[in-house]
Amino acid sequence: MDKVKIGIPRSIHYYYYGDLWISFFKYLNCDVIISPKTNRDIMNCGIRLATDEMCLSMKNLLGHIDYLQDKCDYILIPRIDNYGISNQTCTNFLAIYDIVHNLFSTPILSYNIDVVHHQTEKQGMIQIGEQLGFSKKQSKIAYLEACNCVWKNKKLAIEKNIQKLKSIKSKVLLVGHPYNLYDEMIGNPIISFLKKMDVEIIYSNLFYSEMTNQASKQLSNELYWKFNKENIGSIPFVQNQIDGIIFLSTFPCGPDSLVNELVMRKIKLPYLNLILDDMDGMVGFETRLESFIDIIQERKRKHV
Amino acid sequence: MSKHTISFPHMGNYSIPVYYLLTHILNVNVMIAPKITSKTIELGTKYSPEFVCTPFKYTLGTFIEALELKADVLIQAGGGCRYGYYSELQSQILEDLGYQFTYINLVSKGKTDIKKIYHELKKIDPNFRVLKALYYLLITSKMVKYMDKVDNYIRENIGFEEVPGSFEHENQKMLTDFSKAKGFFSLYHMYHKHFKKIKRLPIHKPEHCLKIGVIGELYTLMEPFANYHLEMTLAHYGIEVKRYTNAHYLLFEKKKEVKKYLKYAKEYIQYRMGADAADNIGRTKYLCTHGYDGIIHIKSSFCTPEIGAMPIIQKICNQYDMPVIFFSFDANTSQVGIETRLEAFYDMIEMRRKK
Amino acid sequence: MKPCYLGIDIGSISTKGVIIDQDHKIIRSLYLWTEGNPIDAVKRLLKGLKSDLPKCYEIKGIGTTGSARKLIGLMVDANIVKNEITAHAIGTLSYYPDVHTILEIGGQDSKIILIDHGIIADYSMNTLCAAGTGSFLSSQAKRLGIPIEEFGELALQSKNPVKIAARCTVFAESDLIHKAQLGYEKKDIVAGLCKSIVLNYLNNVGKGKQLKGPIVFQGGVSKNKGVVKYFEEVLGEKIIVDENSHLMGAIGIAILAHNNENGKTYPLNIQDISFQTKGQECSKCSNHCELLKIYRNDELIDSWGSKCGKY
Repeated sequence: MDKVKIGIPRSIHYYYYGDLWISFFKYLNCDVIISPKTNRDIMNCGIRLATDEMCLSMKNLLGHIDYLQDKCDYILIPRIDNYGISNQTCTNFLAIYDIVHNLFSTPILSYNIDVVHHQTEKQGMIQIGEQLGFSKKQSKIAYLEACNCVWKNKKLAIEKNIQKLKSIKSKVLLVGHPYNLYDEMIGNPIISFLKKMDVEIIYSNLFYSEMTNQASKQLSNELYWKFNKENIGSIPFVQNQIDGIIFLSTFPCGPDSLVNELVMRKIKLPYLNLILDDMDGMVGFETRLESFIDIIQERKRKHV
Repeated sequence: MSKHTISFPHMGNYSIPVYYLLTHILNVNVMIAPKITSKTIELGTKYSPEFVCTPFKYTLGTFIEALELKADVLIQAGGGCRYGYYSELQSQILEDLGYQFTYINLVSKGKTDIKKIYHELKKIDPNFRVLKALYYLLITSKMVKYMDKVDNYIRENIGFEEVPGSFEHENQKMLTDFSKAKGFFSLYHMYHKHFKKIKRLPIHKPEHCLKIGVIGELYTLMEPFANYHLEMTLAHYGIEVKRYTNAHYLLFEKKKEVKKYLKYAKEYIQYRMGADAADNIGRTKYLCTHGYDGIIHIKSSFCTPEIGAMPIIQKICNQYDMPVIFFSFDANTSQVGIETRLEAFYDMIEMRRKK
Repeated sequence: MKPCYLGIDIGSISTKGVIIDQDHKIIRSLYLWTEGNPIDAVKRLLKGLKSDLPKCYEIKGIGTTGSARKLIGLMVDANIVKNEITAHAIGTLSYYPDVHTILEIGGQDSKIILIDHGIIADYSMNTLCAAGTGSFLSSQAKRLGIPIEEFGELALQSKNPVKIAARCTVFAESDLIHKAQLGYEKKDIVAGLCKSIVLNYLNNVGKGKQLKGPIVFQGGVSKNKGVVKYFEEVLGEKIIVDENSHLMGAIGIAILAHNNENGKTYPLNIQDISFQTKGQECSKCSNHCELLKIYRNDELIDSWGSKCGKY
C-alpha cells in the first residue's frame, strides 16, 4: 500500500502545531508535505478565494491550502474552539474547518479542541492517528513522543529569547500572532529590516505560556482569547528591560483591534502599531520603522 | 447620598423592556439614552479603534451622550464574539476621556458572572433584592417575547398596510402600555388586546407576494439605524420580510436552535462558528427550500463570524439558484448606495418571479 | 409627429443623455461632465439635445437613472426613475441579446451584472470604497500628469506593469507615490494601475461569480484600452466594448420610458425653471433626520430623508 500523504499548510496553525505534527507523523511513518513559504502567488490565490473582508492571515491560509489541494491525500485542519473557560480563540479558528470543507474538495484530516466540552488536543491527535489506520496505542505513543521532542526545542527557543534581554543593543518586543510574525510575506520583511537596523528582537510568543497567561491580567483582566493573552502577557515581564514595542497585526484582525488598542492605552513605552494589508511593498513601513528606531535610540542615549 | 443614574445602549425598541426592568428592581434614575443619530455615530467613530465592528462605535457614542447627560452607571451586554470584550476597552476609552462612572458588564470573559453582577448592583442600590429582581426579570422576558411575536407579524404584513403608518402607530401604543404593566396578568391582557387590534388593521396582501429572508449579524439586524432602515425600505416595495434573530431568540431559543440548525445543514457545517454564523447557514438552507424569493445578508463591517459564514451562504445559494445579496454596513455607508442596490435586487427577484 | 424617448443617466462624474425612436435607434446623444452640479448638467444636456433634434419628433417619455436619478426625475417630471443596474442591463440587452456578463466601471461605483436568458440573474456592486473606479483612476492620472484620454494608450506600451497594492484607495495611492519616487517608468506605473483596477474589481465585485462569455464591458472606464487588455488577459475571454458603451444606462432607461409611455408629451423647457435644493436637519423629533428640500420656482415640491414620515 502506498503511504498516506498529509498536507500541512504553512500558515495559521502551523506556527503553533507544525513541529508537533511533523514529529507525530514521522513517528507513524506517514508522508508529510508542507506548503512552501508564502510567496506572491500563494497570497494572491488566497486573496482570490477568500471573502473580501477576511483578515489577511485567513486569506493566506486559503492560498496555502489551494497549493496543497491536489498534492496530498489529506489536508490537516484542526478546529479550535477553546482551551478551557476564558481561554477561547478568535471565531475564525471555530470556522476554519467548515470554510475549508466548503471551498475545497480534498479530504480534510481534522480534530476538534474544545476543552470546555472535554475534547483535548491529545484525544484529537490520537483520533487522527486512528483515522489513518493506526492503533490507539501507537497513536498515543507517537503523540507523547512528539510532545516530548517539541517541548525540548521550544524550551531552548524560549531560553534563547529570554537571554536576548541581556543584550546591550536596542531591544524591541515584537508583539503579534506567531502566524503573522514568522510568515514570509507578513512579518518576515519587518523582522529582517529590524535585524538590518541592528535591533535585538524579542518575540512575544517565545515565553512560557502559563506565565504570560497569568501576566496578561495586569493589562487586561477581561481578556478571554488565549492567543492574545500569550501575545500581550509578555509585556509585563519585559517592560523594564526593553526600549520599545512593535505591534504587528493583519487587517482587520478582530481580537487585535480591541486588545492592542487597550494595551497601547496602558503602556508607558514607545510603541509602533503596524497593520498589514495586502501590501506589495515594504516601502511605506521602512520609513515608519526607521523613525521608530531613531526615537527609541535617542531615548536610550538620554537615559544612559 | 444622591441617587445614581443608570443608562444602557439602544437596540431597536428593546429600551422599553430594559427601562421597565431597571426601574422596577433598582432605586435609581433610569435614563433612556438619546436616540441614535448621525451625531452619535460620529462621536463613537471618533474615539473607537479603526477596524472594530460598528456596534462598538454605536454603543460607545450612546455612552458618551448618556454620560454628558449625567448618567453615572452604564450597562453593557456581551456575546459569542468580540462583543464580549467591548466592555473593558470601552470603559478605558471613556475613562481616558475623563468621565467618572461605574460600568456594569453583564457578560465577563464570555460568561455571565451572576455573583459579580449582584455585588455591583448592591453597590448602586444597597436595597437591591434578588427575589424581586427575579420576579421582574420573568415579566420582562415575557414582555420581550410578546414584543417579538407582534414584531414578526408586523414584519410580514407592514408592506401591505392600507393606511401608511397604521402598524407602527398601533405598535407604539402597545409598547407605551407595556411600560405600565403591573404584573403578568396585566401584561398578558395588554398583549392580547393590542395584538388583536393590530391583526384587524386592514391590509391588501396578494396571495403570492414576494418573500425575502433577512439574516446576518444580530446588532445590525435589530437596530434599524444600523441597517439604514432596510426592513422599512423592503416594506415599501411590498415584500414580506422574514427575520429570525430577535431578543427572544437570542435569550431563550438560540441554544436549542443552533443544534437543530447544525443537524439540518450538516452537509455544509459541522461546528458552531461563533455568534450566529452557524444559525445563518442553517437558515439559508431553509429559506432556499421553502419558497422564498431572495436572501439579504447584513452585518456590520469586519464582523468576523459572519465573514466566515459568507462563502458558505454563497455556496448554498448558488446550489439552489437563490438570489442573495450581502451588505456590510459601516458608520459612513451611503444611503443612496444602499437604495440603489436594494432596488436592483427587488427588480431582479420580481423579474425572476414573472418568468 | 414621430414619438421619441429621452433617457438621462446622471453619474457622479458624467451626465449622459440619449433620444431614441420607437425602434430604439439613437437619434441624438450627448455626454458631458457633471461637475458636481447635476441640476446644471441636466439643463446643459437638455439644451444641447433639444437644439439639434429634428422638428418631426416629439418626446413622449423621459426616464432617469444614475446616482442623481431621483432629483433629476423630479426635475424633468420623468415617467420612470430606475436604478442604474436595471437600466444598464436593459440597454445592453437591446444591443447584445445573448450577453451573459456585463462589467461596468463608472465614476464612483462599479458593478457586475449576470444575465440568464434575457433577465438579470445576479449582480453585485462595489462594497467598501471607491478603489478601482473611474474617479480613482482620473485622480491618479492627474497626479502623474497624464491626460486621462492618453492613459489607456500609454498602458498598452508597457511590457512590465508595476505591481500596485490596490485593495484600498488610500493604500494604492501611497504605494503609487512610492513607486513613482523609486523611479519606475511612467508607462509601467500606468499599466500597473490598470491591472490593479482589474484585479481589485474581480476580487471585490466579482467575488464568487461565474463570468461566462459573451462579456460586455461598459461605463466610463471601458474607454481605457489598458483596462480592457488586462480584463481579457485575466479572464481569458474576449471583452466586447461597444462604441456606445458609455450610453448603455441612458439607452436602457429610455427604453423603459418607452415601455411606460402614458400619453404625455414633454416640451423640454426646464432650462427656464429655477430649481433649488436645501439641506437641513429636522428638529421635529429626536430622530434628527437630515432633510433635503427641493424647490421649483421657489415652491416646495418634495423633501427627502425623513425617517418618521413627518414630511
